[in-house]
Amino acid sequence: MTTLSLPRPRTRPLISWRVRKLLIGYSYLVPAALCMLATVVVPIILAIKMSLYADVLYKPQDYRFIGLGNYVRLVQDPVFWLTLWNSVVWVFGSVILQFVFGFAAALLLQQAFRGRALVRTLTLLPWIIPGVVVGLIWEWLYQPNYGVINDLLIRAGWMHERVAWLSSPDLAMAAVVFTNVWRGIPFFAIMLLAGLQAVPDELYEAAHVDGAGVLERFWHITLPLLRPIIVVATATRIIWTFNYADLIFVMTGGGPANATQITSTYTLLQAYSSLDFGYAGALSVVLLLVMLTFTALYLRVTKGVEETE
Amino acid sequence: MTRRHVPRDLAERLLGGPVVWIGLVLLTAFALGPFIWMLLTSLKDRQELYATPLQYLPVRPTFENYVDAWTSPVTPFSRFFLNSLWVCSVTMVATTAVSVLAGYAIARFRFAGRDALLLIFLATQMFPSVLLIAPLLTQWRALGLVDTYQALIYSNFSFTVPFTVWMMVGYFSSIPRDLEESAMIDGCNHFGALCRIVLPLAAPGIAATAIFAFVVSWSELLFAISFTTETSMRTLSAGLLYMVGQYEVQWGPLSAGVILSTIPVAVLFSFLQRHLIHGLTAGAVKG
Repeated sequence: MTTLSLPRPRTRPLISWRVRKLLIGYSYLVPAALCMLATVVVPIILAIKMSLYADVLYKPQDYRFIGLGNYVRLVQDPVFWLTLWNSVVWVFGSVILQFVFGFAAALLLQQAFRGRALVRTLTLLPWIIPGVVVGLIWEWLYQPNYGVINDLLIRAGWMHERVAWLSSPDLAMAAVVFTNVWRGIPFFAIMLLAGLQAVPDELYEAAHVDGAGVLERFWHITLPLLRPIIVVATATRIIWTFNYADLIFVMTGGGPANATQITSTYTLLQAYSSLDFGYAGALSVVLLLVMLTFTALYLRVTKGVEETE
Repeated sequence: MTRRHVPRDLAERLLGGPVVWIGLVLLTAFALGPFIWMLLTSLKDRQELYATPLQYLPVRPTFENYVDAWTSPVTPFSRFFLNSLWVCSVTMVATTAVSVLAGYAIARFRFAGRDALLLIFLATQMFPSVLLIAPLLTQWRALGLVDTYQALIYSNFSFTVPFTVWMMVGYFSSIPRDLEESAMIDGCNHFGALCRIVLPLAAPGIAATAIFAFVVSWSELLFAISFTTETSMRTLSAGLLYMVGQYEVQWGPLSAGVILSTIPVAVLFSFLQRHLIHGLTAGAVKG
């Protein structure tokens, strides 16, 4: 028998190619995972732990485990319940108006006209500038003595006296909501504009030939086709507005007399001004629960939207 | 062109003509009016600023407020500006590096928990940052990082990384695999293929995402006021708020500060607008 010279068997690598590929994949994820772990996951766990302790930064001698003490205090705190109601007013007031005006803006910006690109960029400005800048600009506009809003309204004859918009308990919430609407219109405008541009022209033309008027075309073509993007944009905006504290913090600090205090600014003040980390922790857990509920709802709704498409 | 010959109804003629023009004028005026007012304010001297009745246009326009804001020893705006520039630049570079790797892994490797991971990145984007203030401050105090740039940069990751990873996954998924596979057959390893093939192709998207990370860090306020105590460590947002906190509000220098902090983001944004809008809506607008 002649010895058959077989090719030398390939040495089996210590780790199989498949596993190696997987390990490489995981190693690419490590930095991002560490970032999230250090800045989100661990802090959340820490916040939950804090909520179970009496933890006021400048009273270290009182630091101790108090179980659900902070939550009991929360339930009995009338300001907390007020902030929840204020949050509802703030979120729905802002988002509904942003949506309506943002939709109108999207329809306008979709028209063909000269200088459209420039107008689109300019109208986005309120959305991209820092929140503190928005707050300060509007504080100056609302300023009782030198603010241009009072001046214009008086000149137009709609008002006879100067109004202290941000320090009047009846007007402060409307004033901050209006500012937030100014800021948020561009968000809806760009989202809906992108949706509008994806609607094929043929649909409109066919409807046109069939004699459908402008309003009918809007109602039967534009709205149904835009439904997915409307749902996504509105849902993200609701969650985001609920969490958003910068604007109110800068403009009123939650005042006057908690008239504009929403749950997120209240949490911020407990952590930042009162340095009561225990109570802030309990409030954070509430924020977290509300956020998770919204997100779960959002995922369900968007999933539903995708399936019906 | 053929559309022109179809008779239009009254509503359409109105909507096509005057209504659109009036609407556009109102929209632009509403969006820009507050900025223009702030710009006019910043060009007035003290006397014009607090004149009664209100004086709308600066008669003797002056840049005094800008000089004041920039050089003030109490609220050193130039220092705030440089602090912001440094914090945001480092945040941008680090975030981009981290999210390029993670985005590539998620887009290219199938592994257990991939969908869950994506979902976590999505959910964290909706996260209230007020929730993180107390625990992060505790963490930074324990590590001795209060009043350091690191504390601000690390904290910024909490909101930049989830968003940029999400964007990167989108960009990488749109690049065909064949290109890398042929590179790997030619002897490139994964990392080599990523650097030589995938990154150049995804470069415009990556650049846009990086700039976006810069812009959102530029706006960050709550971490900046919570994790710094020294004036010299304040970023622009925190510094502007600090200017309000000093004595009575000096609207002249403050309005100059507002305009100065708006310009960089406005300029950056006009460059990346197209990319960003595409990325923001890619998940939502589908066929």
